[in-house]
Amino acid sequence: MAEAITTQGFTREAFEAFLESRAEPGWLRDLRAAAWADFERLPAPSQRDEEWMRTDIRLFRWNQFGFPGDGAAVSDGAAEALLTAGVQLGGQVLAVDSRPQSARIDERLRAKGVLFGSLDELVAEHGDLVRKHLFRAFDTQYDKFAALHAAAWSGGTLLYVPRGVVVNEPLHMLSALTPGASDFGHALVILEDGAEATLLAETASSHETATGLHCGAVELLVGRGSRLRYVNFQNWSNGVWHFAHQKALVDADGALQWTIAALGARLAKVNQHVALVGAGAAAQVNGVMFTEGKQHLSYHTLQHHRAPHTRSDLLYKTALQDVSRTVWRGMIKVDPAAQKTDGYQRNDNLMLSDHARSDSIPGLEILADDVRCTHGSTTGRVDDEQIFYARCRGLTRKEAVRMVVAGFFQQVFDRITIDSVREALGQAIGRRIREYD
Amino acid sequence: MSDFTAVAKTSDVPDPGRMLVEVDDRLVVLVHVAGRYYAIDDVCTHDGGPLGEGQLDGFTIACPRHGAKFDVRDGRALTMPATRGTVAHEVKVQGDDVLVRLRD
Repeated sequence: MAEAITTQGFTREAFEAFLESRAEPGWLRDLRAAAWADFERLPAPSQRDEEWMRTDIRLFRWNQFGFPGDGAAVSDGAAEALLTAGVQLGGQVLAVDSRPQSARIDERLRAKGVLFGSLDELVAEHGDLVRKHLFRAFDTQYDKFAALHAAAWSGGTLLYVPRGVVVNEPLHMLSALTPGASDFGHALVILEDGAEATLLAETASSHETATGLHCGAVELLVGRGSRLRYVNFQNWSNGVWHFAHQKALVDADGALQWTIAALGARLAKVNQHVALVGAGAAAQVNGVMFTEGKQHLSYHTLQHHRAPHTRSDLLYKTALQDVSRTVWRGMIKVDPAAQKTDGYQRNDNLMLSDHARSDSIPGLEILADDVRCTHGSTTGRVDDEQIFYARCRGLTRKEAVRMVVAGFFQQVFDRITIDSVREALGQAIGRRIREYD
Repeated sequence: MSDFTAVAKTSDVPDPGRMLVEVDDRLVVLVHVAGRYYAIDDVCTHDGGPLGEGQLDGFTIACPRHGAKFDVRDGRALTMPATRGTVAHEVKVQGDDVLVRLRD
């Protein structure tokens, strides 16, 4: 098995070697150097911080991982794509351990000015475009992980759709991790005014149970009147540490449908942030999580209404097995200017074990006086009466539990309009359900 | 059932005193009190607080967040807001070594 070549640990020497290994424009080198200084300055998250209170990372060792290497391409790093079955793709970008492997885009799309490929490679040709948008949505000083990402991002994906161009075929990106390696992928999606696109993003490990580090970011820049469907399927092995900052800016009359599915990772801490910055902007956010073993998934969502007549609708559904744990902390924030806001958030948790734990913390922060904002949260077990009824109809207990779990997720699947995604998620979840007696 | 793992030297922990140790990817509080060693999970069952940072009083350790108290001998929850005990692990002393065997 080919091992990833990485410099162990996040030291200054390792950073300088990483910087040296990359032939990048001056502005980008300066940006990385400034972010590295932030990384050195910022304290590691503490359990005393509200955001980290329920997410214990004391067993995370900074020196166990390193910067993405610049060594030879990994030969044994392929991971299977799950979201693309039966889909006619308009393009595909593959990366292993944050290193670009291949990128292709339909010739007709290229002719219309659409860019889709590795961010690493496109920054050389389209530096001005990347410079204008990179970190526009992302706060590089938010915390130590954000700073590290800004200093060390590598590989990644750029999707740029020019004004008024409609991309009908979904585009696909897959980032794989080999054992012990790091992924610092940055997804930068730019839709100019009136553009449309669908992007399916997957992350997966090349080996089951392999450890690894993902310290990544997503920036979705949705222009005026444009429409983006973005699916993010996190399917790492259960040994991966996953830290991510994911943010969207939706401009006037733009629409974003963002679906997050998370099955993998040993521990995940994700900040998902949707900002509605122009009047009439709308966002639908869907979350599907299914945990097992000792997994710990922590999602912190923010629906930020910054302009009038904006709409947001969030639905997170989680099912938990074994001694796994999830945290969802969601906030709807409405600025004084954002009158006529319509915001909703809901989190449902299905407990499949007596020892799993789920923390659900919805929140509202409303500074305007003419809005409609509501939220809800439910947590419960599989209803014994439903199981009894199903068994009376001739189903085994396992079949009955599977049916209840499938029904639980159906509500969020109904909102996902892409068949291949619905099917892939349904199957992946089906495979994980244990025998319950 | 896992095996006993050496986690500390007897001299590492004063009496009374405690020390945070790592066993098989799990954080465990090793407590030395009244001449004996005990080990409990570093997790308050109320809000997941780090028990190892709490105040030790006799056989009682108090969570630094909301003050829930646990018996270090068997992990029993003694006061609100904790209602369930935390996990207590097996400990034995062999020569200079303190060994812990995890209980699931």
